[in-house]
Amino acid sequence: MSELSRDALLAIVRDVWEKHDPPPEHLVHSMQAVAAMAASDLDVELMELVERSTELAGVRGSTAYTLRFVHGDTDLLLRVAVDGPRSRVDGWIVPPEPMTVRAIAGTEPASHDAVVSDSGRFELTDLPLGMLRLRIEPHDTSRPAFATPTFEI
Amino acid sequence: MYQGAVASLLETVIMIERQRGAGRPMARIGAGAPYDSARPGAVWGQATDGFNRWVAGDPAGLDDLVSVMTPVLWHVVRAYRLSEQAAEDVIQTTWLALVRRRAAIVDPVAVGGWLTTTARREAWRVSNGSAGATPVEDEELAPMLPRQRSAEESVVQEDEGNRIWAAVDGLPERCRRLLRIVAFENRPDYRELASELGMPVGSIGPTRGRCLAKLRVALMQAGGV
Repeated sequence: MSELSRDALLAIVRDVWEKHDPPPEHLVHSMQAVAAMAASDLDVELMELVERSTELAGVRGSTAYTLRFVHGDTDLLLRVAVDGPRSRVDGWIVPPEPMTVRAIAGTEPASHDAVVSDSGRFELTDLPLGMLRLRIEPHDTSRPAFATPTFEI
Repeated sequence: MYQGAVASLLETVIMIERQRGAGRPMARIGAGAPYDSARPGAVWGQATDGFNRWVAGDPAGLDDLVSVMTPVLWHVVRAYRLSEQAAEDVIQTTWLALVRRRAAIVDPVAVGGWLTTTARREAWRVSNGSAGATPVEDEELAPMLPRQRSAEESVVQEDEGNRIWAAVDGLPERCRRLLRIVAFENRPDYRELASELGMPVGSIGPTRGRCLAKLRVALMQAGGV
């Protein structure tokens, strides 16, 4: 097989995939936001997304899902739901300890926060729709703050 | 423009085949190279440029790097039959890894390869792990089901572009994945690819050759030769 035909064939392959399975339109913009937010917050330890599930699987227009993040021994379960024109997050941290959870929307300063209860639960309501991340600050100041990666409501 | 370019390229490919078959010199080679063969190469240079500007303190460099590489990552990751949502998660994980571990990227020229390799590993991990356990909606599953061309579809596929798509889409799964990855990546690591595809290391090159040959035949058939 000549070089030309190999390159030509690979060019055809690129072309058809670009046409038939292009990246979603919002993807570049979302990823720019994700990268910029992560870059602006490099001192904070990042939690890792380990599970994502959609409630009411298979039903179109489902507006709630759950996310599970881990960081060291800390496990964070979130239920993210649309609440009218706004959204809410119900969270559960295991093991429970006194912490403040701040919701950061876009690159704006944190405007919503909640304190984790004795049972490890917290709720954040009246959040804007769009890109969001949570910053978790243990009240024990010898422990560093950590944050979730960006997720979308 | 797309249609015309593909049609004329297809003609060139077929012409080469005919000439080879007849044992004549391949006089038409290079006559019309409708694709900008520099394009895939340009991506990697732009990625390096964006990365260098970002490391030097310009946040717009990171934006440019993300903008130029995200579509490439999409195609590499989607070759692993991940749903759109899972693919987006993998790409996000990849960008977070880059931001967090940028000090580990010693050679800026290699940043594009670092990104595709990271994305491929993560896609491979996710496709093996939770793929069966994550509920997804029907419309996300549809593109992953085996393709079957109905009679009606065959008629619709009179269109040149559709016929070329059908040729690529109709390849065996292993060929579809391998060629999509090879087409979008810059010199992928064959050792890793081999283990992901469950093939001996030495067989990737020959398999790629066979897959390209299958595609050429399919394209010729699609062209009605």
